[in-house]
Amino acid sequence: MTKKPIKFVLNGREVQAFVSPDDSVVDLLRELDHFGARESCGQGLCGCCTVLIDGVSVTGCLELALLLDGKRINTVEGLDADGQLSAVQQAFIDTGAFQCGFCTPGFILMIEQLLDENPDPTDDEARDYLSGNLCRCAAYPEILSAVRNAAMKRKTAQGADA
Amino acid sequence: MSFELISPNTLRDALDLLDVDDPSIRPFSGGTALRLMMKSGVFSPSKLVVLRGIPDLSGIEISDDGSLTIGALSTLAEVETSALVARQVPVLAGALKHLSNRRVRNVARIGGAIAHGDPHMDLPPLLSALNAEVIVESRNGRRHIAVEDLVIGYYETLLEPDELIVALRIPAQDDWHSAYRKVTARSADDWPALGVATSISHEGKEIRDIRLVVGAATERPTRLDISEGVLRSEGVAGLPRAVEAAMESVEVMDDSHGSATWKKALLGVELRRSVEEILGRNA
Amino acid sequence: MGDKTMTTTEVGRSLPRLEARQKVTGRANYTHNLKLPGMVHAKVFRSTVPHGKILSIDTAEAASYPGVAAVVTGKDILDVVPEPYYGPAFHDQPILALNKVRYVGEPVAVVLADDPRIAAEAVELIDAVYEELPAVYDETEAMTSDAVVHDELKPAGTFPDLKHLNGRKDTNIALDFHLKQGHADAAFASAAHVFAHSFQTQQTMHTPMEPIISLAEPSGDRLIIHTASQSPSFVRSEVARLLGWSENRVQVKVGHLGGGFGAKLYIKLEALVAALALLCRRPVRLSLSMEEQFYTISKHASTFHIKSAVDKDGRITARKCEVLWNGGAYADIGPRVTQKSGFTATGPYDIAAADIDSYALYTNRPPAGALRGFGIPQLVWAYESHTDLIARELGMDPVEFRRRNILKDGRPHVTGTVMKDAAIDAVLETLAERMRWSEPFDRGEGTVKRGRGVAIGFKACVSPTTSVATVTVAADGSVTLHHATVDMGQGSDTAMAQIVAEVLGVRTEEIRVVDPDTDVTPYDMATLGSRSTFHMGNAVRKAAEHARTQLDDMAKSLGMAETAAGRVKEVFRRTYGMQAGTVVGVGTYIPEYVSPNEDGLSDNVTPFWMIGGTGVEVEVDTETGRTKLLKMVNAADLGTALNPRIVETQLSGAAIMQLGFTVSEEMILDGGQVTNASLADYKIPGIKDIPPVIENCIVDAHTETGPFGAKGVGESATFGVSPAVAEAIQDACGVRLTRLPMTAEAIFHALHGDKK
Repeated sequence: MTKKPIKFVLNGREVQAFVSPDDSVVDLLRELDHFGARESCGQGLCGCCTVLIDGVSVTGCLELALLLDGKRINTVEGLDADGQLSAVQQAFIDTGAFQCGFCTPGFILMIEQLLDENPDPTDDEARDYLSGNLCRCAAYPEILSAVRNAAMKRKTAQGADA
Repeated sequence: MSFELISPNTLRDALDLLDVDDPSIRPFSGGTALRLMMKSGVFSPSKLVVLRGIPDLSGIEISDDGSLTIGALSTLAEVETSALVARQVPVLAGALKHLSNRRVRNVARIGGAIAHGDPHMDLPPLLSALNAEVIVESRNGRRHIAVEDLVIGYYETLLEPDELIVALRIPAQDDWHSAYRKVTARSADDWPALGVATSISHEGKEIRDIRLVVGAATERPTRLDISEGVLRSEGVAGLPRAVEAAMESVEVMDDSHGSATWKKALLGVELRRSVEEILGRNA
Repeated sequence: MGDKTMTTTEVGRSLPRLEARQKVTGRANYTHNLKLPGMVHAKVFRSTVPHGKILSIDTAEAASYPGVAAVVTGKDILDVVPEPYYGPAFHDQPILALNKVRYVGEPVAVVLADDPRIAAEAVELIDAVYEELPAVYDETEAMTSDAVVHDELKPAGTFPDLKHLNGRKDTNIALDFHLKQGHADAAFASAAHVFAHSFQTQQTMHTPMEPIISLAEPSGDRLIIHTASQSPSFVRSEVARLLGWSENRVQVKVGHLGGGFGAKLYIKLEALVAALALLCRRPVRLSLSMEEQFYTISKHASTFHIKSAVDKDGRITARKCEVLWNGGAYADIGPRVTQKSGFTATGPYDIAAADIDSYALYTNRPPAGALRGFGIPQLVWAYESHTDLIARELGMDPVEFRRRNILKDGRPHVTGTVMKDAAIDAVLETLAERMRWSEPFDRGEGTVKRGRGVAIGFKACVSPTTSVATVTVAADGSVTLHHATVDMGQGSDTAMAQIVAEVLGVRTEEIRVVDPDTDVTPYDMATLGSRSTFHMGNAVRKAAEHARTQLDDMAKSLGMAETAAGRVKEVFRRTYGMQAGTVVGVGTYIPEYVSPNEDGLSDNVTPFWMIGGTGVEVEVDTETGRTKLLKMVNAADLGTALNPRIVETQLSGAAIMQLGFTVSEEMILDGGQVTNASLADYKIPGIKDIPPVIENCIVDAHTETGPFGAKGVGESATFGVSPAVAEAIQDACGVRLTRLPMTAEAIFHALHGDKK
């Protein structure tokens, strides 16, 4: 298996790696000791492997690692880089929006995206946006609360900044 | 079992890499479907020709005649969130919102989604009802293929292994109004068990012309010619007969989403509801 | 303990999970994350026939594939484990198939390689030849079939509640449990009405999001097993038994689990990775794919024939139950399901006479074990559907019919055990109230009809089982809890820390909870069957009290005060002359229990009862069969909640999981092959599949013997979901379904005639 060198920016830090053609983004992240994106269904349906590539959510267990060359990738590990949890992360804690936590990073990254696009989503909009993420503990009602809670937190923070 | 990943910078280079006689060389755009086939061992490529870096194959434009041209490398999410699409073909934006999931739509390209030929997809029947066509290119030149004609069987299309879809063209809809009704059987986020796409040119309740296409329950997107004929000649009064004709004429598959008997019944109900929805909505 | 009136500060507080921050930052310590130096990856080669003699396994091509470290078959395993059969009830399951395969997907060989993809590619090169034998898949057929899955059965003798298992030959019946209370035949002979129905459930899978995973690491003359297991103590003793080692040579370490639900109990991959690690003398990692989980463990399909005698006033006078459990190819914990669930098959009703026959059956399907309820959801599905059908035939309101027959505290259950701290009536009344049962109900219009239903169920807790905990107080006053309850999302670490904090008067957040590690955390039977809050909770409370007593004694001997509370650091400093010393409190808990006699009777059959119920409102599109849940109310008696918010999440989580088993999930088999072993084709509930309104009610209750009045809750909200939905569908559109799952298509055919 011929490995090729790639360069990319992981959570703001430049990284070089050697990857095989069939390495997925999740395979590569494991190599780099980033475990927040994790393979579960292996088919892009559960969202446990969600990462952001150039600011867009992507299924990490399907995306080829070689294609990261020259890109920016963000994972859940980068959200509290300044030591502060993001509004969405804090909302997950405040509303108890998880049990086992295995799917949680994927949901959190999707909700970060949702709120970036739509700061005040309805429950139906949130459901549509999150329909590709599965939680077998079924904390769905609490996840919807977390979306509302995080939207509020973001608005408050913005108000404070202004 | 390794393969090579090549990222050409021009369409010409990409076309040069494809080989009409070697299906193990595959164009790769979003790769969402292809990667599943690779992971499950159904498909082992020798070369993947990555199209993502080719400029000028994305973007959504409107022509003077009101038709939309969508570059084949536009992601489904770009189409979904395009203001132009929302204005010109709202039914497409609406259907995309419920197609697979947002991560897939962020990566999957419209050209690849159409070229895949998977019967359990939303776009082929809908685009057929919208009378859309794809522009296809190979080293030998360009051709236009109606989406309706593109898929010829179960995962089978008219595309040759050395051809690429470069754009999708959706004609101006003018006084045509459309609906896409999708039924999922096993969960809300499932692939469709049935998709019914309906476009009607009408004034009030008077039907001038109609295009009806069923997908997912059939081996390939299928035009409901007989039902269309009934509605063209009899108008909305012919709806029960049109529904009956659809249920009688279409060959529906048994599969893991449900039996043919049930899906046939669903087809009848959803067809009736879609016609009623359009005529009611624009009454 | 009788502390009902006591005011608590830590217990009863809805604090977030202790590991919340790790979970939302992606840094929780799942076994999935683990990488060991020099480790090899294992990939399993699986049987393609449902039942057959292994004639040959050709591994030569796989073994010579570049990058492959080794290929291992069942025969190779014998080098390190001469008797390689394991199981909690019977020693019936081989580490890798030997001589015979008994289901499609059974592990037959393993490839080891540095790169997991190489291992997967090499597995494709293995060729096994089988002589196919007749197979049996259906539980009813298994009762009489000539196809016999096991030639001989060896009882494990591990658990006291299963000590009566017998070795058997020439049958697929692994265990039959019988209960006989009073004179059922006489009651039926004189009954005003007799009702009989049959119900079925399908085979389903847990699909934890963290697929089953284990690693084994040789370490001198010891072995370290890192595993996503709900039962580290059992893994240690079972692997030690297989290897013929003392238990202290096997160390089992467990992090947080990415979901368990019963899938990660007893031995799953641990015996295999242990043997592989010893064979290749390297750390071995085996992580299943989502697909492979379907070939590993599942939930019992079942058939339940139920018959009731009812008097002219609508009181049930006798009930006969015959339950057949489809256990698949290996018994796993099926015999416990058969017995523990079996004796509650008559439901939470006051019935004087009963006959219960419950059979654990082998078939050539993937094995079935425990899944969130140990068989109870299958039983409640049947007896509550039956209850509604009786009420309909009698022309009685279904809630009123239940009221008339409900089993109240102080009355004997059919086992003979007198009910205590079982708020069955409170659960029913809470549901009736929250469903506004007595108020007019909108029945929908046109072809879209609406209906509603409620159902209740109960469960006994597996017994007798033991939990042990230690609470360590350091000289600076900081507190560490060692216990082997596995936190798989239910919040046990947090709840146990709350108990310690309450007893020692410290903040829960300051308590360090050590992950299960059999080298340091004491014995616990397992994290299963909603037993932990009660059993481990009591052990933890005792351990904390033991620590507190020692600290108080130290304070007293220093002449300081009656209590060390608030001055622990000073007590240590003055006792040892500096900041030194440790206080270790130990707590062991085993409840009282009386094994059922030969008639299945016992006057103390369970340490506590779990009660749960659900009410639903549905809307049925009668033209298509498509059904929407508009509202779901879950109520449970869980004693006094230790952490109400975590408990509520448990309630809705359990109910939604059961909703998947109710309307959608089913393992489809074709010739023994599961044809939908993936989340693409086996659809679990997503965020758009849940009702828009979900209410969770904790009924006001207290368990006298529980820690601070608490008892188990993880399964309770599964009980009522399926029958409540069935009743609501019938209420809406007049058709009754008696088999799960109740898909749109099934409803459509019930409404419009059979398919084809």
